[in-house]
Amino acid sequence: MRYTEFTPFDIVLLAQGLGVSVGLFLATTVIGLLIGTLWAVVRFYRVPVLAQVITFVAELLKNSPVLVQLFLVFFGFPAFFHINLGPVEAAVITLSGNTAAFVYVIAVSAIESIGRDQIEAARAFGLTKWQVLRHIIAPQAMAFAIGPLTGLLVNQLQVTSLISVIGVMDLTKIGNILNLRTLKPFIVWAVVGVLYYLAAKLIAFAGATLERRLRAHTAWKGL
Amino acid sequence: MIKAQSVRKVFGSVTVLDGVDLTVAPGEVVSILGSSGSGKSTLIRCINGLERLDGGSITVDDFDVSKPRELAEARKRSGTVFQMFNLYPHMTALQNVTLAPVEVLKRPKAEAEAEGRALLASVGLADRADAFPSQLSGGQRQRVGICRALAMKPRYLLLDEVTSALDPEMTADVLDILAKLAKEGTTMVFVTHEIEFARTISSRVVFLEKGRLVVDLPTEQFFAADGGLANPRIAQFLSKMRKD
Repeated sequence: MRYTEFTPFDIVLLAQGLGVSVGLFLATTVIGLLIGTLWAVVRFYRVPVLAQVITFVAELLKNSPVLVQLFLVFFGFPAFFHINLGPVEAAVITLSGNTAAFVYVIAVSAIESIGRDQIEAARAFGLTKWQVLRHIIAPQAMAFAIGPLTGLLVNQLQVTSLISVIGVMDLTKIGNILNLRTLKPFIVWAVVGVLYYLAAKLIAFAGATLERRLRAHTAWKGL
Repeated sequence: MIKAQSVRKVFGSVTVLDGVDLTVAPGEVVSILGSSGSGKSTLIRCINGLERLDGGSITVDDFDVSKPRELAEARKRSGTVFQMFNLYPHMTALQNVTLAPVEVLKRPKAEAEAEGRALLASVGLADRADAFPSQLSGGQRQRVGICRALAMKPRYLLLDEVTSALDPEMTADVLDILAKLAKEGTTMVFVTHEIEFARTISSRVVFLEKGRLVVDLPTEQFFAADGGLANPRIAQFLSKMRKD
């Protein structure tokens, strides 16, 4: 006979699932931020060919479903490159790439949002392109980008649920297992939903706090 | 010495500078007059390397601004003050002033800050050193802009219509500071619409018209009836400017 009651151990399972989801989210966020920002810097320096290649790759990643990308990586890498990937590795590669593509777009528009006049002033005083990027553009671009980035990351947290289809034991996968065992979908999915919600709120809160700090220089406090 | 020889600058089909020759020796205050679109600001932007030349050459103390390596040296010798201030909005007044000395001249931060505070105090902004540009009035912003240029201890100060965005009262504040600098022997290239002020502080006046340097005369002669005023275009320009 099947055991359909909830047990205290289920809480441990859910916590583990949440840990896997958040862990994957954090890892892919860090990698995605690094790669996306690096791409934007390459574009800033107008590196020939490389800049065009990056724009093309980012377009591909942005405009196709993450699930399709996940399948391509998970099944494609072993088939075409003879690299055996576990589900976690495939998830890290796919989600990092996807996050990087969107970070790239946000970073590029953030860099372009900085007024030319200040950049010209800094150049006229002899600052190098790198010094301008570091001291003039980066701090302001960060203040500009933090809002869209927070939105992106809240979304990317939800997107991690897709990786359950290739067998990663994330929160959604645990939810699925609990659901099949207990046959109480409304309780299981409500709890899973609340956990995602709380994690997302935490990201939004962190983003808002950071934004307040980065925008300390603007006198504008809103209407 | 700033030396511009047959400088040409073209934007699309418009020739903005058409064979301009100008020499500025240390200690001189040279005013550049001319109506809007005559190429005054572009000339300044060519001297500090913000625009590439399409012909001719500009050297600052023998450093050719069209060569990237030499441009860096040339830029250390000239400080620009901009019409729209062009301050860094995310930095305080003091940080605006100390950024270039610390990053470009590699001055120790504490030293640059002490000098920056002294400079700000000298233009009456001692208590505004830690304010952001958005918290300052236009006149205060431009005074910060002047300090930012002076902090580099430039041999040449390039001033691009620095009072055009200010009301008369603030203009007076800024002009007082410039007059003081002129008296101290600061070399200045001064693009302006403030005719009377140009007359009082400059040693030479040049007049640009449609990208050509029409007249280059000592100030006295420029404003004399048989000097610059003999040129009908200049007489017309001056009478128009004085009416406003």
